[in-house]
Amino acid sequence: MSNNHENHTPVSLRGLSADDPHLQPAARNPERVEKVISISFFIAIIFGLLFIVAYVQNWQPFILGGFLAGSLLLLGIGLVAWGKYLMPRGPFVEDRHEFRSTDEDRAAFAAAIIQRGGGVVKRRKVITGLFAGGMGVFSLGALFPLLRSLGPLPEKTLFHTDWRKDTYAVDITGRRILIDDLAIGSIVTVYPEGEQDSENGQAVDQTVLIRVSNRNFTTMKGRESWAPQGLIAYSKLCTHLGCPVGLYEQQLQLLVCPCHQSMFDVHNGAVPNFGPAPRPLPQLPIYIDSEGYVRAQADFNEPVGPGFWERS
Amino acid sequence: MISSLIKRSVLLSILGIVSAGPLVLFAQSADAVKQPYQTGRIDSGTPNSTKVVKDANGVIISYGNSSIMYNAPSPSLINLGKALYMQNCASCHGAEANGVGASGSYPALVGLGPATVHFWIASGRMPAANPRQIQAMRHKPRLTDDQAKAIAAWVNSLAPSYPFIPEPNLAGASVSNGAALYALNCAACHTIEGMGDALAFGTYAPSLHAVPAVQVVEAIRTGPGNMPRFTGNLSDKQVTDIVKFVTTEIQHPTNPGGLGLGGLGPVAEGFIGLALGTGVLALLGFWVGERDE
Amino acid sequence: MSETLNTKRAKKLAKGPFGNVGHALNEIDDRLGAAKGGRTFLDKIFPDHWSFMLGEIALYSFVILLVTGIFLALYYIPSTAIVTYHGTYMPLYGQKMTEAYASSIDLSFAVRGGLLMRQMHHWACDIFVGALVVHMARVFFTGAFRKPRELNWTIGTTLMTLAIVNGFLGYSLPDDLVSGTGIRIAYSILLSLPVVGSYLAFWIFGGNFPGTMVIPRFFVLHEFIVPLLILGLVGAHLALLVRQKHTQFPGPGKTEDNVVGTPMFPVFMAKTTGFLLIVGGVTAALGAFAQINPIWQFGQYHASNISYAVQPDWYMGFLDGALRIWPSWTFHSFGHTIAFETLIPALILPGLVFNLAYAWPALERKFTGDNAIHHLLDRPSDRAVRTSVGVTTLSFLMILFIASSTDVIANFFQLSLNSVLLAMRILTILVPLIAYPLTYKICKEMQGFKGAGKRKTTNMVTRTSDGEYVATSTPQYVDDIPSHLAPIPVPRFINEVEAPSSDADGNGTRVVDR
Repeated sequence: MSNNHENHTPVSLRGLSADDPHLQPAARNPERVEKVISISFFIAIIFGLLFIVAYVQNWQPFILGGFLAGSLLLLGIGLVAWGKYLMPRGPFVEDRHEFRSTDEDRAAFAAAIIQRGGGVVKRRKVITGLFAGGMGVFSLGALFPLLRSLGPLPEKTLFHTDWRKDTYAVDITGRRILIDDLAIGSIVTVYPEGEQDSENGQAVDQTVLIRVSNRNFTTMKGRESWAPQGLIAYSKLCTHLGCPVGLYEQQLQLLVCPCHQSMFDVHNGAVPNFGPAPRPLPQLPIYIDSEGYVRAQADFNEPVGPGFWERS
Repeated sequence: MISSLIKRSVLLSILGIVSAGPLVLFAQSADAVKQPYQTGRIDSGTPNSTKVVKDANGVIISYGNSSIMYNAPSPSLINLGKALYMQNCASCHGAEANGVGASGSYPALVGLGPATVHFWIASGRMPAANPRQIQAMRHKPRLTDDQAKAIAAWVNSLAPSYPFIPEPNLAGASVSNGAALYALNCAACHTIEGMGDALAFGTYAPSLHAVPAVQVVEAIRTGPGNMPRFTGNLSDKQVTDIVKFVTTEIQHPTNPGGLGLGGLGPVAEGFIGLALGTGVLALLGFWVGERDE
Repeated sequence: MSETLNTKRAKKLAKGPFGNVGHALNEIDDRLGAAKGGRTFLDKIFPDHWSFMLGEIALYSFVILLVTGIFLALYYIPSTAIVTYHGTYMPLYGQKMTEAYASSIDLSFAVRGGLLMRQMHHWACDIFVGALVVHMARVFFTGAFRKPRELNWTIGTTLMTLAIVNGFLGYSLPDDLVSGTGIRIAYSILLSLPVVGSYLAFWIFGGNFPGTMVIPRFFVLHEFIVPLLILGLVGAHLALLVRQKHTQFPGPGKTEDNVVGTPMFPVFMAKTTGFLLIVGGVTAALGAFAQINPIWQFGQYHASNISYAVQPDWYMGFLDGALRIWPSWTFHSFGHTIAFETLIPALILPGLVFNLAYAWPALERKFTGDNAIHHLLDRPSDRAVRTSVGVTTLSFLMILFIASSTDVIANFFQLSLNSVLLAMRILTILVPLIAYPLTYKICKEMQGFKGAGKRKTTNMVTRTSDGEYVATSTPQYVDDIPSHLAPIPVPRFINEVEAPSSDADGNGTRVVDR
């Protein structure tokens, strides 16, 4: 399609005339483009000044940011337009010089490593081996402070919570829970007395009390005394990935975990019947003491929370 | 002597028969009567409150404290309430408000308390637009607030219960405390921004953005549908804190950062970032670069 | 007077034909010997196809991240010490919170320009990872990773991983309710590793969850270690690009042995600097008008609080989606638990995807037997298998990404949450299964169709005087520009035109010496 064949003959590298078509702007009407670009730069300057005013005057963030955005965008668009439409349009070419080295250089490089270096190693096998061994031991040893100093050994920490025999159940304000506090269909998050203010305590000990009935309730065989007067206590820590299972649906009798939507059956020992959770929520055996307070019979019957290797 | 004995025994047996009848009836409806609202705590939505107002006959007409006053619907509304009930509710809930006999799929209303009845009608969920829907949706109310109170009055007259219709006073409420309580008790279903979200099997937690303060209290205290109820574990003061938080920060967020993007969190932000961020920049890159010949 | 003029002119002449600037450059060359290399560098040719701009979006959004990040680092306090908030945001007034959260709230409300910087930083991250994905896809689909650029592909994939990790670390720093939940999940994923899980978790977090060390350690990683790694790798990435030169699409004048495009100076520098400003401008616009991560609404993270609809940021979405849809198959035997319900979706599946990406250049070399050097790009439709594999992988990742919003989808479309999840499980298998043959077929069809994907031409029908109709192919628009010029090397000197040339063929003018 080109009709400028006369300009395709090779041009001396010594110089190119200034009116060569390759050096001309790409725009058909460069003066008009230049006018548009200058207007956009001018508005960008105004926006930039307004940005300074907005900052000094402490205007709202969206005004501050709006001026910043306008200024940057107009400067950028103007500069791109300058480069695209007003600068020499080319196209230009350069050769890809094969950057692979010559075969002689390659051989010399390989010889330096293999012959010179390899020769040294072969001649001094013992000390090379010992040095390698020393560096290896050091690297292994360096892992110890790097990893082990970071924190304590898990030992049995993951297996227990702070719930013990006769611990009072308290809410987040530290108030002990009375059995009469909870109507059928109620749920409350409780902690062992004394742990409600500690983050670590909240994380591990969090338990939900759900009232499903007025009479003693059995969730599973062997747990006849665990839910007195219809009050069931489950660990709030999801057995999938540890999110608090705070979502209780009282008609469906489901505890739903908001993170990945595991659904636990409240009446049947919090067995998960939908979603990725692998195990039921551990149940805390509780009793109501003579004053009506809710207290634990013992710790949970199994480790709470997500699975880990040592969990048998 | 014998004649007086016979008279007494006849009288007694008549008395027995006469009283047995209602006793039988009462026994039937006793199964249908829900347990009354329970809590031993003071100032938690029952007449066990700081301030109790009784009428001339000793019947409690309102109770509560400086945070929330619970008011019984006026007895003068009972007849109007009955008429409205028969017109709007009886077809599903039964003429005696104990649920339709055979199917039983419509809840019995006896013993639920005025706040429950008032909540469902004032939020427009009842009369149900689609009775077969899994969960009734919030709607423009079909009955006025007074009509709702009237129906509540009549249903309550069948088996008086609590809580009464609340009147929250947000003057002394603490938004900060409400935010903390909301995060612990409510955000799990309603999301921390109050947008609501889907729950199991087609149920959902509704958005809190258009809920008046009274209905927030009623929902918390009565636990409508799948929502759990919060009785003794939240005092009236704590409930008003939550209500103040909901009616200010959740319903009117300041959004100083710009458009709120629907409060959907990272889902919406991701779409905007990809479409309006990377997408727009790629389009601009289309202009900056060249196209093929 | 003439003496002064002579001295002035003499001084000027002494400076050489390029005046003061040239003199300064000579001084620099005396010290660095940089003139030859500098000239070569300025002459470098950049092919400027629009798809090559995508990597620039990533690079410049990283620059914005650095600049805004430095600002934020001057105010953020990486400490889990408990303070009481007494600032201007009333819903938090009087609440106890960590210093990390309190300083983030102060950044948003008390520091002038702080909220804008915070939002720009977060939007820039979303754009950064988005641009990385699109750039990686472009490189993949055009075969730019082939010899000699496999090392650059490896560096790039590593950059992608580091960017995602740094994003996660960064949005977890404010210690708010939503991001804290993400940290809890990360802790549990660590726990699930067989044998070493509990040890790694306790060591990295300094104890049981949450502990007090996680925020300071995330800060060090996010601020220092990972950005250093990214900077170093980006430097290597660009250095390789300069050394090996950019690839280009085949076209008129373009061969395996040359590069056709615009020279570094002044054209490419202008366009790329302009694009940097544009990226900054778009990020500022988003940061100004679209609120992101409103941590003041979420509140301080407490381990027993949780919100619903808590998806992670979008680039972690595929992990969240995989965790949701994967069934609860756990292994529990011999006194040990292997939490496969966590391991497979969170570690093994993404590990497979990324390892496939790392291995791809070698795999393609093996299966096509093609060990030649390639500087010309493929059109995606020309390589049906590669394109189909890429589309299948992307569609798989996209379904996982969509699966992380099951609850939002169920709520928005008023469907049952359970049905949406089951549908996602089915789609995760179905969509990639359909995507592969579909893409393959489309590629094959495009290959068979001459001129597929090219700009259309029209047929201009003219009638000769004999009455014969002749059809010629013309550009779609009659006055379509530009007229095609053959590429020429960058000129060494530009010569001024002294007078209208008397040469009839216009083939150069007289050189004017100064």
